[in-house]
Amino acid sequence: MSSFSAKMRAFLVRLRQSVRRRGNASEFDEELESHIAMHTEAGIAAGLNEEEARRQALMKLGGAEQVRQARRERTSLVWLENLLQDLRYGMRTLMRAPGFALTAIATVGLGIGACTAIFSLVNAVLIRSLPYGDAERLVYLFTPNPNLKIPAEVICPAYGDYFDIRRESKSYESMSNFEQAMFSLNERGTNQRIGSARVDEDFFHTLEAQPDLGRAINSDDVQAGREKVAVISHALWMSMFGGRPDVLQKSLVLNKNSYRIVGVMPAEFEYPLGSDMPYGNSEIKSTQIWVPLVLTPQQRAAREPNNNETIARLRPGVTVRGAEAEMTGIMARLDKEYAGDPNGELGPIRQWGALIRRFTDMSIGPVRPLMRLLLAAVGLVLLIACGNAANLLLARAAERARELGVRTALGAGRGRIVRQLLTESMLIGAAGCGLGVGLAYLFLRLLPKLDPGNIPRLNEATLDWRVLLVAVGAALFTSLVSGLLPAWRASRVEPTEFLKSHGAQGDSRGHSRVQSGLIVAQTAMVVVLLAASGLLIRSYVKVVNVDTGFSHSTVTFNVNLDERYSKPEQQVSFFRQLTAKLNALPGVNAAGAVNNLPLTNSESITLMWVEGSRNTEFQQAEARYVTPQYFSAMGISLIAGRYLTEDDYVRKAGVTVINKRLADLYFPHQNPIGARISTNREADGWKDFNTVIGVVGDVRHVSLEEEAQPQMYYGNYQMNGGSVAVRTTLPSSVISNEIRSTLKAIDPQLAMTDIRTMGDLVSLASARRRFQTSLLTAFAGIALALALVGLYGLMAFSVNRRTREVGIRMALGAERGDVLMLILRNAGVLVGAGLVMGLACAWMVTRVMRSFLFGVSAHDPATVISVSALMIVCGLIAVVVPAKRAASIEPMQALRTE
Amino acid sequence: MGDKTDVWQGTLALMILKTLETMGPQHGYGLARRIEQTSGDLLQLNYGTLYPALLKLEQEGYVRSQWGTSDNNRKAKFYELTKAGQKQVRRATADWEQTTEILSRFLSPAEEA
Repeated sequence: MSSFSAKMRAFLVRLRQSVRRRGNASEFDEELESHIAMHTEAGIAAGLNEEEARRQALMKLGGAEQVRQARRERTSLVWLENLLQDLRYGMRTLMRAPGFALTAIATVGLGIGACTAIFSLVNAVLIRSLPYGDAERLVYLFTPNPNLKIPAEVICPAYGDYFDIRRESKSYESMSNFEQAMFSLNERGTNQRIGSARVDEDFFHTLEAQPDLGRAINSDDVQAGREKVAVISHALWMSMFGGRPDVLQKSLVLNKNSYRIVGVMPAEFEYPLGSDMPYGNSEIKSTQIWVPLVLTPQQRAAREPNNNETIARLRPGVTVRGAEAEMTGIMARLDKEYAGDPNGELGPIRQWGALIRRFTDMSIGPVRPLMRLLLAAVGLVLLIACGNAANLLLARAAERARELGVRTALGAGRGRIVRQLLTESMLIGAAGCGLGVGLAYLFLRLLPKLDPGNIPRLNEATLDWRVLLVAVGAALFTSLVSGLLPAWRASRVEPTEFLKSHGAQGDSRGHSRVQSGLIVAQTAMVVVLLAASGLLIRSYVKVVNVDTGFSHSTVTFNVNLDERYSKPEQQVSFFRQLTAKLNALPGVNAAGAVNNLPLTNSESITLMWVEGSRNTEFQQAEARYVTPQYFSAMGISLIAGRYLTEDDYVRKAGVTVINKRLADLYFPHQNPIGARISTNREADGWKDFNTVIGVVGDVRHVSLEEEAQPQMYYGNYQMNGGSVAVRTTLPSSVISNEIRSTLKAIDPQLAMTDIRTMGDLVSLASARRRFQTSLLTAFAGIALALALVGLYGLMAFSVNRRTREVGIRMALGAERGDVLMLILRNAGVLVGAGLVMGLACAWMVTRVMRSFLFGVSAHDPATVISVSALMIVCGLIAVVVPAKRAASIEPMQALRTE
Repeated sequence: MGDKTDVWQGTLALMILKTLETMGPQHGYGLARRIEQTSGDLLQLNYGTLYPALLKLEQEGYVRSQWGTSDNNRKAKFYELTKAGQKQVRRATADWEQTTEILSRFLSPAEEA
């Protein structure tokens, strides 16, 4: 009947009344009095005596007190008043027991903080949408070759094939080809290497990204002979141009060429990021500059894959499988139509296949298991925190049993008591939530320092609404889980029973079965976490101690030659001079150059033929060009024969050095020295054989965690760019200065980049592992601390309640040692049960972690033993204080206390 | 809610509003008497139930109250309709008439095809 606004108005009036609690009860009393008086007067006028008239007036009214009550209920929101009352009361009780309150809040806060922090990470990496439109429809196109023993997701279609696929296929809305490039950006005289990409006119369109300012790269830009233009990232716009709008009239100097800036991308667009492509340029963490990909007619017709990348957007409704089937058809036809390069690595028969992978699987796919692992870990931490809070509240409820009993006896409803206790746990949850969000914020500040560099969008983790929602959800969950059990138990107190017993303890252990159960469960969960982190730590130690085959202290740097060094003899002369000068430096033991350093994601694979051996088709080896001192500079050990010498270069002797793996595989029972190997196929009439002069140790080139492949080294000074390894006794600052001045003396225009030790490269290669290990270990540590606080709390509480019992035992002749043992045994049973349960769970759970392990079994006995020992020792420490306190109880004193 | 008292509350509110509309400002006791009289003494009204109902109407902004003096020179709180109250009387009356009309069709069925 009444309209919504009237109802709303009434609600607000009542709300204000509830909060203010300033009743106008006396005014209503007056109104009621006047009502009764008028009614009485009317009665008297009708001939009744005054007393009878008043009695009838009151009767007709329905009782003054009932009316007052009915009106009071209408005045304000009763439930709200009750809630506020509960809150005030809860606040007061918590304040009266600050130790309890702070422990509970810290516990809950840690749990919620861990959850919120990890969720913010998961949110950034897995949940938040990517800035590429509907990212689920983005796919990479690859052309794997069955004869290349490299991952299938390395090679994208050759340009010629790309244009054929683009013309013939119907699966894609749009397709783009691009190449990653490292440009040297000149900014006020200093050169800076900057991640860039050469992109075609469909690049931005395919990724559904529009520049904030200016325009994207269009089909005119990619024609030969046009003005050089560039689109820059938001970050570069900010750092180089201070975010000024006149940037569109400015130019950039890249590799000595001037590029006019035509567009600025939004802040979130820095595609491709290092993590967006499985085998992209490992130097490029994010892309700051996009320039047109200008192809010559020859390039456009090329049928040999280049180092381009192909990304496409599927039409809505087209599946990856459907698109792949279509591409397979096209590639099969192209393979028939075109012959392979007879002198190429892969022989005269073209065999480029078709493979389509979802962009999200490529970029996010590899970290999904890690995110799940971390979520599971913080889930356990939260549960342990819940268990702790529940135990604290149970202990509190037991201490307050008397108070609650009295309140029940005085008529407090069961529901009201449950609500009161739940309000208290909600208060703890709310404070814990605040603390947790604060901790998560700190974690996010710390995160960039932990960044392993290959987790996509890790740096974009923030506390957004989703994360806060999870924090609040976790707090609510904790409050309910930890509050319901104690509340339910407390509400079952029978007032008469309770008052009779004076609140004495019924349980001889001093604590309830529920409390013990919680401790056992907590211990079990901690054991699972400890076992998991133990396995990760063992794996990590194995990884960093793996024999990489090179010395970690070797200093390396990159140097790239520019167009002035186009002739081979110029390159040879440059590297010969550079290595000679470096080797002549005092304090330098050896310096040698190589085209690709280990662990830098760059590899050149060659096919080879071993003379006189049982060769098979497509035998592969990793090939490297090195200068004579490279082996000694890198500390690569010599197993047989000799290293390369300057003489080999001068004489242009056809010699090669192989690694142990190659020797073991192809020369199992014979001396490889003197054997001859060819890497020049020349359409299967293998030629240009090289003689093996030495066997060196295996070097982990691709990854720390993969066994070395067969490797071959050729002596060569001719490289248009490469890395130089320097073995020195000089401190790093001195040697980098020496290198700089040496380089300057040869060519002042060249700069060295990426100066770092091989140890730094190892550290980079193990960063992801370090990240996951340290996070999981931190959580296991937090969980352990929480569980120990819980155990300590329970034991202290239990000793407190058993003071009288201990007193009696001692009065009856028990020794202090017996009392100590009694408490220790009590705690030992709990920890032991938890340990056994935990190990059983860990046995099952760690199996799913197999992909995270390296060199240890999921049931590694050393881990099991050390986790058990750690748990027992920590458990003992937590229990010793309460146990000693029990043992120091004075019997007389104890018996006197009530 | 949605039980019998709610319906009762609803009708009581309409009775109060209608009475105030016809009689002008009135105090609680006067309202109670008047409602009883209007109902031809068919309604057994607990006078006390009037006050929460009046408070509700006041909170909803349909009536306002102020202290005044009764005919017998007694201090009493007088209730009167607000503008919103007048509108509400019309709306509620129309609603109620429609409801009773529909109901009456059910209760006294005419011969229809």
